[in-house]
Amino acid sequence: MPEVTLKNLSKSFAKGRIVAVDKVDLHVKDKEYFSLIGPSGCGKTTTLRMIAGLVEPDEGEIYIGERLVTDLPPEDRDIGYVFQQYALFPNMDVWDNVTYGPTVKAWEEKKRERIGREMLQMVRLYDRLDAVPQELSGGMMQRVALSRALAAGAELLLLDEPLGALDAKIRNELRYEIRKLVKDLKLTAVHVTHDQAEAMAISDRIAVMRKGHILQVGSPYDLYMNPEEIFIANFIGESNFLEGKVSHIKDDTAQVSLRGDLEVESSNIKIAKKGERAVLAVRPEAFELAEKTQKLGNALHGVIERIRFEGTDIRYEIRLVNDDSIVVVRPSLGGEWFEENDKVTVGFDPEKSHLFEYPEKGLRAELELE
Amino acid sequence: MRGLTASKTVGLLAILGVLIGLFVFVLMPTFYLISFTLTQWNEVYIDVFANPLIGDTNWQQILGYLGFSLRLAVAAVIIDFLFGIPLAYFLAYRRFPGKSFLEDIIMLSLVIPTSGFGVATLLTWTGLSGIGGLIGRSVVEVTYVVPLMNVPFLYLLVHVALTFPYVVRTLQGKLEDLSPAFGQASRTLGASAFTTFRKIIFPLAIPALFSGGVLAFARSLGETGATMVLGGVMPTAPIAIVRWVSEFKLATASFLGFLLIITATIAILLVDLLLQKRSVFRMPRWKFVSKVGKCVLKVEKKLSGRPKWFKDVASLGTLFIIVILPIIVVLFSVGVYWSADPDTGRVQGGVIYQLFGPSNYFNTLMRATLTSVYVAVISTYIAACIAVPSVYMIKRYRAGGLLRYILRVPLIVPSSALGLSVLLLWGPSGLNLTTPGIWLIILTHIVFSVPVVMEPTIAAYEGAGIPSYEGVARTLGATPYDAVETVSLPMLKRGILAGVILSFTRSLGETGATFVVMGSDVTVPPLVVNMVEALAFPAALFASAYLIALSLVLLILFRFLVRK
Ligand SMILES: Nc1ncnc2c1ncn2[C@@H]1O[C@H](COP(=O)(O)OP(=O)(O)OP(=O)(O)O)[C@@H](O)[C@H]1O
Ligand SMILES: [Mg+2]
Repeated sequence: MPEVTLKNLSKSFAKGRIVAVDKVDLHVKDKEYFSLIGPSGCGKTTTLRMIAGLVEPDEGEIYIGERLVTDLPPEDRDIGYVFQQYALFPNMDVWDNVTYGPTVKAWEEKKRERIGREMLQMVRLYDRLDAVPQELSGGMMQRVALSRALAAGAELLLLDEPLGALDAKIRNELRYEIRKLVKDLKLTAVHVTHDQAEAMAISDRIAVMRKGHILQVGSPYDLYMNPEEIFIANFIGESNFLEGKVSHIKDDTAQVSLRGDLEVESSNIKIAKKGERAVLAVRPEAFELAEKTQKLGNALHGVIERIRFEGTDIRYEIRLVNDDSIVVVRPSLGGEWFEENDKVTVGFDPEKSHLFEYPEKGLRAELELE
Repeated sequence: MRGLTASKTVGLLAILGVLIGLFVFVLMPTFYLISFTLTQWNEVYIDVFANPLIGDTNWQQILGYLGFSLRLAVAAVIIDFLFGIPLAYFLAYRRFPGKSFLEDIIMLSLVIPTSGFGVATLLTWTGLSGIGGLIGRSVVEVTYVVPLMNVPFLYLLVHVALTFPYVVRTLQGKLEDLSPAFGQASRTLGASAFTTFRKIIFPLAIPALFSGGVLAFARSLGETGATMVLGGVMPTAPIAIVRWVSEFKLATASFLGFLLIITATIAILLVDLLLQKRSVFRMPRWKFVSKVGKCVLKVEKKLSGRPKWFKDVASLGTLFIIVILPIIVVLFSVGVYWSADPDTGRVQGGVIYQLFGPSNYFNTLMRATLTSVYVAVISTYIAACIAVPSVYMIKRYRAGGLLRYILRVPLIVPSSALGLSVLLLWGPSGLNLTTPGIWLIILTHIVFSVPVVMEPTIAAYEGAGIPSYEGVARTLGATPYDAVETVSLPMLKRGILAGVILSFTRSLGETGATFVVMGSDVTVPPLVVNMVEALAFPAALFASAYLIALSLVLLILFRFLVRK
């Protein structure tokens, strides 16, 4: 059963000067579509390559199913690997590429033919089987690469930014196609990307990495609704961060006094103590927006500084009376309509905000990508 | 529109000048030799096929020499492949301390003066001064012939040592450029390391392997210096040319030269053709192939698990034995022979006596050094003046590709045939502008120096992305001339310098062509051959060590420039 378990996995480069992956523990369940996301250079690729056997870990263990594979070469791990740059063999046509796995595994001629045909039909490229890779478009090449990986019979599919080199429209179509293939064939997939929207759209679960560590593992819903760290609240979707101090805590609701003595409530507390500095995270789409005179829960007042129309949504940049600046996103067809320099009230549901303790290194350092 | 502006006219004139230089100095001699053979066909025919005295003996000899040279070249290339492929693989994929040193040694093989290297090899393998000293007898006799290939062992050794760098360097470059993802993809699909090499890496590297092989083949076909030192066991075609020229049998020599040039050209054309038809390399899909394939896969799988160091050690060992060992032996032997012959104890057999004694080889050597340096400086300078602007033309204009292609000719023309071409064109029987001597040597060296300067310059040009930087300079207001002077030339400086040093070293070490055109102005490498033929072995030893040391110094200089 192709579940994947990583135990205390580490890898550094340049004689230890670059720590790419730092003591990572991870469990990917059988038949799960799992994504690894994080900013550039956080160690996603290195982790994936260690699972594949393309990079040798410095320490730690890797299990695929029950099998300890840490010391096995890639060809003995029964995996499929999809590269960002396709890596189709330029000296072979589509058919030879797709049947490469069966060929080098010396499968029966009949089985080889059947699998090659099925896999190519699955990605709708059976009619191009004698094309050479250079003649195909990027999307087609990646579909060939995908069917090549699947034809080798692996039940664990590893994908490193498989959509990274494609343009937006094709990227969106292909990501659902990949997920459907994985689910239809009952495979386990580990998908690396730095595009959080892509990961949210197709994954059963996601691990967020940063600087070689895994910060949080959860379903897309979990990560969005309950980010455990400030970094995640910012990396998954987007958040406004308001600095303040906890003035009361009662049950699970905290009273936070922001700069300029603005008082708000939050009922979603991640470690924060009374009397201490805290950061309140509120998503732009969690705000309600109304005219100045109107009453809202958790109300704050401000002036609209700038409006950007983005099609589906409208983004308002609002300067609050305490000089903090926030972004509010409302659906374009939501009915309300404001102009720049309008005085407004914004409000939010205490349930839809997250309260974090103020990070030691400072907020800016905490949000840094690298 | 009032015609051309002044700057455009100057530009056009410059282009015209360079083209004329290229044509007259570099290409014309070769074409002249070819046309000479064709236009003077009657004379050639009588000499070669219907000599009133000896009938077609010359033709028989030509066939013999040519056949032998071809056999030798093919054997050398095969061995180059056998040991060059693992070596290139090793160099491309391993990081280890001393790697750049190893690459320098391979480079050394390309610039080492061949006659000096011939002496070194002779010393190492025959007699008691080299490896023989360890086992108490000569390892091989000069006359030992490798069975099957039917070529003398020492010839083969020297030819491999002097030609394998072409295979290793082109292949290594290709392997390094190849995206590692191809190999990795193959591994993840279930192929072992060996299978991956056979099915993916090797086919992708074949073009590089073949172009390296062609260069090695051509170099072996034209090798003169070292082969002459190894003596007259069996003369190769280039040696025959040298001899015939010295006997003034120009018609016969030029016919052999013509055949050599044609052979090398055909080899290059064939390979190009083959590379364009990639399908040649497809394996057929027969049933029994798949059966055999299964066994092969299993064996490869087994081998991949084995310690991989075996093939590394094998190829490194070969490198050591054929290249490094002779150099060490020659340097070391100078010390041994310094004051007297170590075997007989006679002072007359010592280096000192021969250099400063009655024969006074020291004086001759110093004069030859002066000639060598003089030739190297002037020919390299002129070659650089032609080569650098040519790089621009090659890169800027459509027809540049063709120009670059044609410029491969001087690189593959066997050097004594080249010398003969220059002699025929400029010498008494052609335009009669000069007689054999230093100017003819310079004219000869220019021919092969131009491509030698050009290659690293082109590499620098391509590596630095010159066109875009020049474009930027232009948008910032620089005139085309300013852009070249302030942006590209400084960026190309290293490439040009590298090329200049290479061509300088090559000119210092050139033997075959120089022999044909030198007259009484002897340079050092032919002097070494003369010493060997005059049986003044210790003097030859000293001169070889001296030449090799010189080229080592130049190589260090080269390395310093290129690595920075
Ligand atoms: N072969 C290598 N040699 C040296 N450093 C490396 C090597 N491979 C990765 N690194 C370094 O390790 C760190 C993690 O790299 P990795 O490729 O895993 O990041 P990533 O999360 O995949 O980033 P990206 O989104 O840019 O692909 C980076 O700092 C990278 O520079
Ligand atoms: Mg990556």
